[in-house]
Amino acid sequence: MSFLPNAALLSFPLVGNLFFSERLRTSRKYRFGGSMDLAFYDLKLHRGRFIATILGVGLLFTIVLAMNGLYRGNIHEGLALIKATNPDLWIVERYRGGPFNEQSTLPEFYHYSVKAVPGVEKASPFIYYTVERLIGSKSRQFSIIGFDVFGGLGGPQKIYAGRNIAQAHYEMVAHPKLGVRIGDKVPLGLHSYTVVGLTREAVSSNGEPLVYLSLPDAQEVLFQRDNEQVRNERGRLLRTLSEESYLSPYQSEKLIPKLQSDTHIINAVLVRLKPGVSRDETARRIEDWLYLSAFTTEEELQLMLRGRLASMAKQLLLFRTLLLTISVIIVSLVIYTFTMEKIRSIAVMKVIGAPNRVIIRMVIEQSLLLTVGAFLFGLVLIHNTYQLFPKTVLLVPGDDLVTFIVAFVGGIIASILGLWHALKTQPAMALGG
Amino acid sequence: MGILRIEGLSKIFGSGHLEVRALEDINLSVSKGDLVALLGPSGSGKTTLLLCISLILDPTGGKIVFDNQTIFQKNGWAGVDVRRIRREKIGFIFQSHNLIPFLTAKQNVLFPLNLIGLGKEEAESQAMELLKYMEIADRADYLPALLSGGEQQRVAIARALANKAKLILADEPTASLDTGRGKKVMELLKKIAKENRSAVIVVTHDIRMIEGFDYVYELKDGRIGGEKN
Repeated sequence: MSFLPNAALLSFPLVGNLFFSERLRTSRKYRFGGSMDLAFYDLKLHRGRFIATILGVGLLFTIVLAMNGLYRGNIHEGLALIKATNPDLWIVERYRGGPFNEQSTLPEFYHYSVKAVPGVEKASPFIYYTVERLIGSKSRQFSIIGFDVFGGLGGPQKIYAGRNIAQAHYEMVAHPKLGVRIGDKVPLGLHSYTVVGLTREAVSSNGEPLVYLSLPDAQEVLFQRDNEQVRNERGRLLRTLSEESYLSPYQSEKLIPKLQSDTHIINAVLVRLKPGVSRDETARRIEDWLYLSAFTTEEELQLMLRGRLASMAKQLLLFRTLLLTISVIIVSLVIYTFTMEKIRSIAVMKVIGAPNRVIIRMVIEQSLLLTVGAFLFGLVLIHNTYQLFPKTVLLVPGDDLVTFIVAFVGGIIASILGLWHALKTQPAMALGG
Repeated sequence: MGILRIEGLSKIFGSGHLEVRALEDINLSVSKGDLVALLGPSGSGKTTLLLCISLILDPTGGKIVFDNQTIFQKNGWAGVDVRRIRREKIGFIFQSHNLIPFLTAKQNVLFPLNLIGLGKEEAESQAMELLKYMEIADRADYLPALLSGGEQQRVAIARALANKAKLILADEPTASLDTGRGKKVMELLKKIAKENRSAVIVVTHDIRMIEGFDYVYELKDGRIGGEKN
């Protein structure tokens, strides 16, 4: 077996220049029959160092493969909620890329205006935010979705245990990652909410578990304030109004509820269109008439991919590139050391008449045995440990294959330094003491 | 019958005032079965001459005819595949054995057989025969590091014989051995020359080792100073 034919070697820019005069005098017509696996025998003698290198470089490959999985996991989780909700249109605040990629705030009653647009069959209020609360004895971060539980869009689609929310208040559907079971009562603010169903079809765009509540419950949990804070706000408003000389204290008192912040706020309106209605046309109508922004689900996915997920993807790509480069450098140095230790043997091989391809094969095979061995170790390790990662690691065969190809090419590149030394070794080195 | 003929061979290193004439006007003829010694002090040009005969070093001038084929003349190597000639027709014995350390004794002998494309079974049986001939078959599966100096040199000779070489070149083959073992190695080389009809050229500085040689050439300042029968 030969990894590089002669013609390929001659066209290899770095290696090609290194053939000293003897190489040029060697006929390429002669078919060399050598089948002795020199690389294998050499590694067998140095198996301790070989195995240690495989373990070290293999761990680097494990991290590269884990990062592939983290990237896929992030993309999957970042898009899962959008895909699972899948309305025809997402209506958000004007010029905002919400509700996931960017904050969007709308008054709740806007969904009535959207419903009135021709072509719209259903328009549902939708609220989404992240909180951190004590669940059991642990502080857990999770995302809450508030939706119209009486036939509105945006609720859980697939419930694998229990049922969907059936009453206006104090029921929830949760992701099992939250660590709750059917029938558990979860305190959120002033009230406790009973877990009536479990769903695992989606997580938040950050990979946190989701909790579905009715819209009023979700708004209450979001805007729930401390009593002291409510009293302070009333006092501040009262002082502001009393500065106006035309208002009596009684009138000021009466005006306070009107000036307090509104809790009937949503992040988006989810729209289902009537059959046969053009999405683009309806979206344009909503944007022009209501001064809102409208996105299809595909556009919403693209917003996430180009927005929040893009920098993470670039970050992981950079890390993976760095780690692969480090792996190649390590293999390269190890192969260089292996080759340097064999320089006299290589000179002897040349004196005995071994063609360069025998030496090239030995160096490249060692490099590839190290690289492939390390990759296989990394592959086995990550496929047996990915569940231990706190974030979802989604391992895709295609990614493994691409990483393998990159590692394989890297292994060949790593052998260049060793090859360079092996090929410039003069046979005369074998003579003398 | 001549196996090697060298006419007017010269080798010059460097140029101008740095020029060193390592070999000058060397003429040599070696026939099948000849046992030839190249004697000389350090720096006399013995190893340079051996490198030229081995087709490793390019001579500056002269002519080399090997096995009835002109392989070097004025204009350089005459379009020959030098490594092919070495693996098929020349056997080498080095001063420090130079066995490949990660191959066993048998694998070291198999290596040149493998290079000439001999089938696996045939090569294995030939390698074992050679090791038996060298009386080292019981050590066939040992790595060189586990063999004594004498055993290593016997394996090295077996390797040099593997390709049924027409010419065996030995560079100070006894330098790393004690006198007793050195003499045994020389006896082996004599035996090979007589039984295999291979020409053997031995470079040595130890006059005690060349007893019974057919020709002894003495090199001095790059020239063959004397010939003894």
